[in-house]
Parts: sequence; C-alpha cells; structure tokens
Amino acid sequence: MMSIAARNGVLSSYLQATKHAVKNLGFGAKDVLTKSMLSIFFPGPAGIRLAHTDVRIPDFSDYRRTDVIDPNKSSQDSSEGRRVFSYLVTGATTVVGVYAAKTVVTQFVSSMSASADVLALSKIEIKLSDIPEGKNMTFKWRGKPLFVRHRTEKEISAEADVNIAELRDPQHDKDRVINPSWVIVLGVCTHLGCVPIANAGDFGGYYCPCHGSHYDASGRIRKGPAPLNLEVPYYEFPDDETVVVG
Amino acid sequence: MKGIRGISQLSERFYAAARSGQSLVQPMAVHKLSTRAAHSYQDVHVTRLPSGLVIASLENYSPASKIGVFVKAGCRYETPDNQGVTHLLRLASSLTTKGASAFKICRGIEAVGGSLSVTSTRENMIYSVDCLRDDIDTVMEFLINVTTAPEFRPWEVSDLTARVKMDKAQAAQSAQTDVVEGLHAAAYKNALCNSLYCPDHMVGNIQSDHLHQFVQNNFTSARMALVGLGVDHTVLKQVGEQFLNIRSGAGATGAKAQYRGGEIRLPTTSSLVHSVVVTEAAPADTLAFSVLQHLLGGGPYVKRGSNTSSKLFQGASKATADPFDVSAFNVGYSDSGLFGFYTISQAAVAGDVIRAALAEVKAVANGEVTAADLTRAKAQLQSQVLMSQETSEGMLEAIGTQALAEGSYHTTEEISKNIDNVSLTDVANAAKKFVSGKKTMASSGNLIKTPFVDEI
Repeated sequence: MMSIAARNGVLSSYLQATKHAVKNLGFGAKDVLTKSMLSIFFPGPAGIRLAHTDVRIPDFSDYRRTDVIDPNKSSQDSSEGRRVFSYLVTGATTVVGVYAAKTVVTQFVSSMSASADVLALSKIEIKLSDIPEGKNMTFKWRGKPLFVRHRTEKEISAEADVNIAELRDPQHDKDRVINPSWVIVLGVCTHLGCVPIANAGDFGGYYCPCHGSHYDASGRIRKGPAPLNLEVPYYEFPDDETVVVG
Repeated sequence: MKGIRGISQLSERFYAAARSGQSLVQPMAVHKLSTRAAHSYQDVHVTRLPSGLVIASLENYSPASKIGVFVKAGCRYETPDNQGVTHLLRLASSLTTKGASAFKICRGIEAVGGSLSVTSTRENMIYSVDCLRDDIDTVMEFLINVTTAPEFRPWEVSDLTARVKMDKAQAAQSAQTDVVEGLHAAAYKNALCNSLYCPDHMVGNIQSDHLHQFVQNNFTSARMALVGLGVDHTVLKQVGEQFLNIRSGAGATGAKAQYRGGEIRLPTTSSLVHSVVVTEAAPADTLAFSVLQHLLGGGPYVKRGSNTSSKLFQGASKATADPFDVSAFNVGYSDSGLFGFYTISQAAVAGDVIRAALAEVKAVANGEVTAADLTRAKAQLQSQVLMSQETSEGMLEAIGTQALAEGSYHTTEEISKNIDNVSLTDVANAAKKFVSGKKTMASSGNLIKTPFVDEI
C-alpha cells in the first residue's frame, strides 16, 4: 500500500484538493497551480506565484522631462544638463532660503532689543541759540540732568590757565570740550550723585550742596569730597546752532 | 591551560576516525541507548489504541516537526443531500472552534512560524500542521481543536460561499481537474463518483448543520490516525488517548463503490484535447498495475527529454508530429481502482493518439514486453516510491495513509521486495484486464475528432 504520490505519479495533484488555513511559505505550498511535472520527482519548497497583468499604470508623460520620455534613447546624453539644472535650482533655492531664514531670525531676535521710544530718549538735540552767555541750562537726558553752559571769554581763558598738577583729577580744559565756548557735562556729582547747583561755589562753576564739592567752569573738581570731574558725555555739533548729545 | 585541555579532547574531536566501521545512521557507541527504547532510532512506531485510533510516529531528528490527523472522511462518504460538504469542511478548518477563535488559531500558528493545511482526497481528510520542534504543544492544541471541537458558526460558514466559488474557479482553470472529476463521476454510481469540489447546485446551500452531522458521523476514533514526524511517540500517544477519544464507534460506513463504466464529454474551445480512458482495477492487483503504469510510461523523467522509455509516448509519436503528451493513469482506493491512460493532444489528431496508445497497451497484453523493460519499470516504480518519501509531506502522507487503511506501516524494504516479486505474467494479465474490461472515458476540449468510448 503506497502513498497517493507514489501510486498516481504525475496526476496525483489532481486527485486531491488542499486548502492552506495558515500558510508558511517556507514549508512549501502544494497546490495544483504550483505543481510542475518535475516537482513531483524533485520536490522542494515553492510558493504560489500570481501574475497581475491587469494592473494599469497611468501615463505620467505630462510631468516628465522631455529628454527622458523616449524609452529608446539613452538618458546619458541629457544627464549632465539635467543634473546641472537640478543643482542650480537647488543651490539658488538654498541661498534664498538661507537669506530668508537669517532675516526672519534677526527680526525676531532684534524685537527683544530696546524699543523705539527708549531709543528715542537716548539722544537729545539742543538749540544753542536759546542759551545766552554765562548761563547754564539743565536738560533731562537718559534720566539724568545734563548741564549745557555757554561760557564767557573770561571763563574760557581762566580755565585754560589752570595748572593741571594741582587738580585732583588732572584734565586739561581742551580735553573736555569740543568747542571751548560750550561745556556739556552730566549734572551728577561724582561723590554720591547729587545734582550740583550751577553758578555757585568758590571757583565760578558748580557747587554740590550735599557734601560741599566745588567744581570749576569746566566741571573739574577743585575742592570737596568728590573724586572725579563731572562726566562729559559724547556730543557733536551737526551745525553751529544745534548740538546732539548721545 | 588551553593546550592541555585541547589535547585531552582529541579523542572526542576525531570522531570520524573513531567511527571506523560503524554505520553513520546509528548513534555513537559512547551514547548509551535507554533500555526502554525497544525500537531503534529510525523506525516508524505504530500503536493502535483500544478506541481504534492509530498512532504512528517517526523520529527523523529534523528541526521541524509535522503532525497530521488522518480521517476517513473523504468525499466518498458524502450523501446525496450533503454533496459538497467536504469542500466546505476543508475551507472551514480555519473557523472558530470551542477552544480557540479563528483569529487565535491564525495568530497562534503564525506566531510560532507554523502552518496548518487541510488536504482531502476521495477517501481521506488530512489535517496537518508543521512547526519547529519546540512549538509542538502550541500547534497541537490548535490541531486538536480544529479536528475535534469545531463550532461551525452559521455566519462564518455562510461567509465561506465566496471561497467555495473561488476554489471552483481556480480548479476549473486546469483541464486536468475537470477531466479527472468527470472521469470519476462517469465511472462510478456512488461514493467515488462524488467530486472533490462542491457541485454547482449546492454552492451556498451547505449549512452549519450539514457540517456538524458529517463530522458526527465520520470523525470517530476508529476512523482516525494521528501521525507525527519528529515527535516523541509517547507524547503522541498521550495526546491521542486524552483528546482524540471524543467519538467512539465506527461511524457511518461508506457504501461499496460500484463501477459502471460510462462516458463524459466536456466540450470547450481549447485546441488541446484532454482525454482519459480507464477500466476498473481491483485493489489486489495494485502492484501489478503500478508496474504496468511505469512500463507504459508514467510521465517524464528527464525535463525536455525524449521519453524514450515510455511505450505510450513512442507509440503516439508515430501517430502525430504535433505536440502531445500521454501517460498511464493509475489511481487506487480501498475497494476499487482505475487504470488506463491519459492523453493530451491537438484537436485534429486526438483520435489517432488515443488509438495508438491503446495499441501499445494491447501489445503489452499480448506479451511483447522484454525482461529489460520490466526491470526498468520496477526500478522506476521503486525510485518513485522512495523519492516520494524524501520530503516530509510525502513521508507523512505515506505513513498516514497506511496507518489509516491497515493500522500498520510497511517499510520501504518490504515494498521494494513486493515490487520485485511482480512477474511478467502479472503485468501482462493486468494489461489484458484493461483491454478487455468495461471502459470509462472522459474528454475535454474541442471534441470534433475525439472518438466515443465504443469507437476506440
């Protein structure tokens, strides 16, 4: 008594029907469709192969490069041109993209810096014709008092003749002013920060009432507890009539 | 130290030399066999339980195991009111059971990399699982569930109708299936005339009750065999005793197949005509008919060869120059069998090819066979038997069908001896039986030039 395969030879696969409930292709699928004549004598693992000849692939030629549409033409001839074009476009896009990114980032980051109203207060423009000779005017600048003094000739020459070696903070007058007839200093006493009074004191300049510091007409400390001269801010004369401080 | 250790292991390392004279299929002498192992390693163990269940196993030391449950529940046991139930049963193997849902079965078997399949022939239904050795318990559980405790839920069964239709459509793609099914329908009055596939009028009409009834009547312990490859026999016996003793008794006995000898013609537009002419072959003459089958020509042995050893082929090649194929057809069941020849030819020369093939068989019946031909045929048959057992599927089927039919296993040596004992007269008598017996014929294709069975 022999098995079905041994007895029936080539037609044994048609004398039985198999259904695979759970199929592990490694163990081989013995179906009528996959059995070839030879596999009966030399059986081995085989899977079911199905050919899907009804799959339709749409025509994409509208979207393809004209150089490569013809399947019979070698694509090597156009490859360099295509490559250069692609790289150029990529490169240009990258450059533009980087620039755009940098702009966006700087805009966001700079939004955290000082706002316009704060920046506006950082400079002050003063009309010089409002200040008569010998007069000292006080302005509020960056939260601090700013002294603008129109000096007389007598004061200018007196300050220029002062012996620097006697000064606590030696500075020549010409180092402290751009135009000798205008002296612009911060009205903050360098001792403890009070506001000195103009045209007071023993030296014809300023006098700080808090602890008795005497400054001269150039803002230099002459007598009293203050260690340094009055600070000179940055200023410039855009024309003869105005000065911009800061 | 390494060197000294290496030297002491030399005796074990030169195992090829140590084996001088000892057969390589036996374990080494250093390994003692347990005294309880009464059989040697490579034997097929067969046990019949009191309930009638037959357990068979073979230890083949393979890393993958195969277990099959063979049941005498082929389509010959279908009754006229449930024709096609075996087709549904085949497809219902993956449905929900009492112990596991369909999803669990599929995922559980997939998780261990195994597979479950059902094959049904006209006599048997074979449920087989394969898996790696260590995962036998898991897949065995599912196999037992599927064979002994199916639920056949009505909605799941009705979902199978689409599958039935697809199966039938796929089977109809090959003309051989149509011809073989038609042949059986024409040759027998009952039992064996049932088709492997559900007939058209029953598609969608097989209900869950039909399946339950069929299983009740046919899946009894006395009609089942549990076969394992690469499984321990004691384990298999335990499983058989515990789980497969669900239904005792012999179940419904099938009717004896009655041969009637008819004809069926299936006209199609194909230019190739498939035709098969057979007579009944008694099971007692199986070996003689098998030798005759190879004597006449049992199919190509060399791919794209010239089939010089096939008498049928040589005879038919004189009748036509167009492409054709002819081979002997031999199928055997427990109480009957069919023997003849199968031809595939061009529509215009179909008659010539069939008559030439018949002439060859008549020549053999008249004794025009040389001893060389006979030895060649016997050698071919032996090699086919042996080669079919080279694969695990073939081995499982061989062991299972024998265990189910006879309750024992014939080794290949026995079979080879029996083949050798077939004589020239046996073969000539077998051929005479074919020539003189009542013939059945089935043909398909463009049948303009195909003769009727009484014209050949």
